[in-house]
Amino acid sequence: MSNAARILLVKTALDGHWRGLSVVARALRDAGFHVIMGGMLTGAEIVRAAVDEDVDLVGLNVGGHVQVVERVLGELRAARPDLPVFAGGVLPPASCKRLGALGVECYPPGSSLDDIVAAARRLTGHLAKP
Amino acid sequence: MRRDPPPPIYTTRSGIPLKAAYGPDDVPADHRAVMGGLPGEPPFHRGGFPQGYRTKPWRIFQLSGFGKPEDENERIKFLLKNGETGFLMEHDRNTADHLYNVDHPDVVARREDVGQTGAVMQSIREVAITLDGIPIESTYGHAGGGVVQHGPFALAAYWSVARRRGIDLAGLAGTGQSDFFLTYLGCVTKQQVPTAAGLRLNADIIEFCAEHLPKWVPVSIAGYNGGDTGLNGYQELGAVIANAIEYLDEVRRRGRMDMTAAASRVGGVNFRTTMDIFEDAAKLRAARKMWCRLLRERYGVTDERALRMRIHIVTSGSMMAYQQPINNIVRGTLMALSAVLGGTQSLGVSGYDEAISIPSEHAHQMAVRIQQILQHETNITAVADPLGGSYYIEALTAELERRGWEFAEEIAGRGGFLATLDSGWLHARARDNQVAEQQAENDGRRIVVGVTDFRDDVSPFEIDGFPGVSDAYEVARARLDEVRRERHEAGAHAAVKRLERACRGTENIMPVMMEALGAEVTLGEIGDVFRSVWGDWQTPELV
Repeated sequence: MSNAARILLVKTALDGHWRGLSVVARALRDAGFHVIMGGMLTGAEIVRAAVDEDVDLVGLNVGGHVQVVERVLGELRAARPDLPVFAGGVLPPASCKRLGALGVECYPPGSSLDDIVAAARRLTGHLAKP
Repeated sequence: MRRDPPPPIYTTRSGIPLKAAYGPDDVPADHRAVMGGLPGEPPFHRGGFPQGYRTKPWRIFQLSGFGKPEDENERIKFLLKNGETGFLMEHDRNTADHLYNVDHPDVVARREDVGQTGAVMQSIREVAITLDGIPIESTYGHAGGGVVQHGPFALAAYWSVARRRGIDLAGLAGTGQSDFFLTYLGCVTKQQVPTAAGLRLNADIIEFCAEHLPKWVPVSIAGYNGGDTGLNGYQELGAVIANAIEYLDEVRRRGRMDMTAAASRVGGVNFRTTMDIFEDAAKLRAARKMWCRLLRERYGVTDERALRMRIHIVTSGSMMAYQQPINNIVRGTLMALSAVLGGTQSLGVSGYDEAISIPSEHAHQMAVRIQQILQHETNITAVADPLGGSYYIEALTAELERRGWEFAEEIAGRGGFLATLDSGWLHARARDNQVAEQQAENDGRRIVVGVTDFRDDVSPFEIDGFPGVSDAYEVARARLDEVRRERHEAGAHAAVKRLERACRGTENIMPVMMEALGAEVTLGEIGDVFRSVWGDWQTPELV
């Protein structure tokens, strides 16, 4: 397990619904990933957690507007330009499109756990530790 | 991995095994003994009222709110104009749930989110704008304050606006919420008063209403928020009972109210209905029966009006699909039907765009129309408890009740409802079900049309979702500055000190909260008092 890729899951909004995050975290853990739960964090806090925990992938649970996610992404990219990011949560189609253009894969409600786990494998693949 | 579906196992959504057909022997003897009773008779499983909906149709009561107070005001008026018969006033989650003003760093960092789920209301001025022109003296209103630490502010603000209009509070009808399920289980905030402090706040509200607002429902236990977080039907029942026990035991311990009055105050309860139409209709029947028994046996209540649980239903938001969202109009209708078959007093239908955004005007209008079609076109309101006497429904009612009591007893054995929130035991029960339900969809054992099966790759999205407004944050900042500039500073300061003394002592905080609102003390200042007196809840590990 010590070689498992490390995934930081955070909430970008001050909205405490945790059901979606919970099932995704469980699926990723069951698939062998090391999942770190960051809670509700600001952009600066996410950067700190990503660096401190030396993670290979960040998962953003979105419960608010896409502009907040874009700002978080900007801060994250400035600090760790190569760190892959994917997102889930309440993401209207237009938000998915905007985030997709920024290289963030989106998994809105109804996405299958298999697809999310496959994405995590693919996104961390080139970073997998020996 | 998607596999060939295993041979079907027939159970309810909560996992109760189902037979292909039911007969008289499937109804247990103790339930059979009350089966012949009529609606309006204890133990009320057949409904609270002898004439059912002939006496009073259910209240059409939709969650509403976004943007600036003006935007929320406009939406509430839109809903009332379309036939809503009560209104719910949502406050912005970023500020209200956390008792932060809009200039708190945690809010500033997410400024575009401000106003997404309700208007920002930091002082009585903003609450007055939200309520402007709404006849609250004659319209049943929900003041907001879903989250426990926000309840006192939301209620005091609403009541203060009423007083300023010259409305006698003794005649004001409406409801608060201050819901433990939402606050500590379903939507866990970043900062919150500990559960023990929350219980004290709720007991203060209950006692204050008993004295000053006899027509107001002081707090509402919202099993919905446990259900949509993952508790199954009978766990929702058991947990609601366990929650009621905490409130009623506390009121009894304080010794200022008689238990008949207390039972009436606490008897407005909320559940969810899901797509398992019969299980959830039976759940409402079981809920009323359990309530009646709890009050009789534990609290010695005999007054029939006090023994009657009044139910508000919100249709499950988590059943609403992101894919092919127009299908959700059908889901909303079926879940509403379940609520009505179960005999609800009040109903909110989730918007068809629930999985995508807060409701658009059209989604909101549809939610009202669904209810109007049920009320006026289906003849469903003619006869009370139309499912009563069905072997299946009666057997299910009895089984849900049995399992509900079992779950309530398990919670009691673990120290009670608050203790199981503090320890995370209830969260773990919800989590087990969340994972099991998602797995069932993932591997083909449960079908969701348009999501797991019958997918439409050509046109995956038919609606864009409602974007809200973009100026809620700036306007709220300006209004906060205005209050700080214009209010009588020494008066506000003194009111804050009075509030802090009340919180540290044992007097009821509501009179002081009303004074603080009158002195234009802001939401964030009230939060600072609560935080300094009570600190922060130790959130259990959720995931």
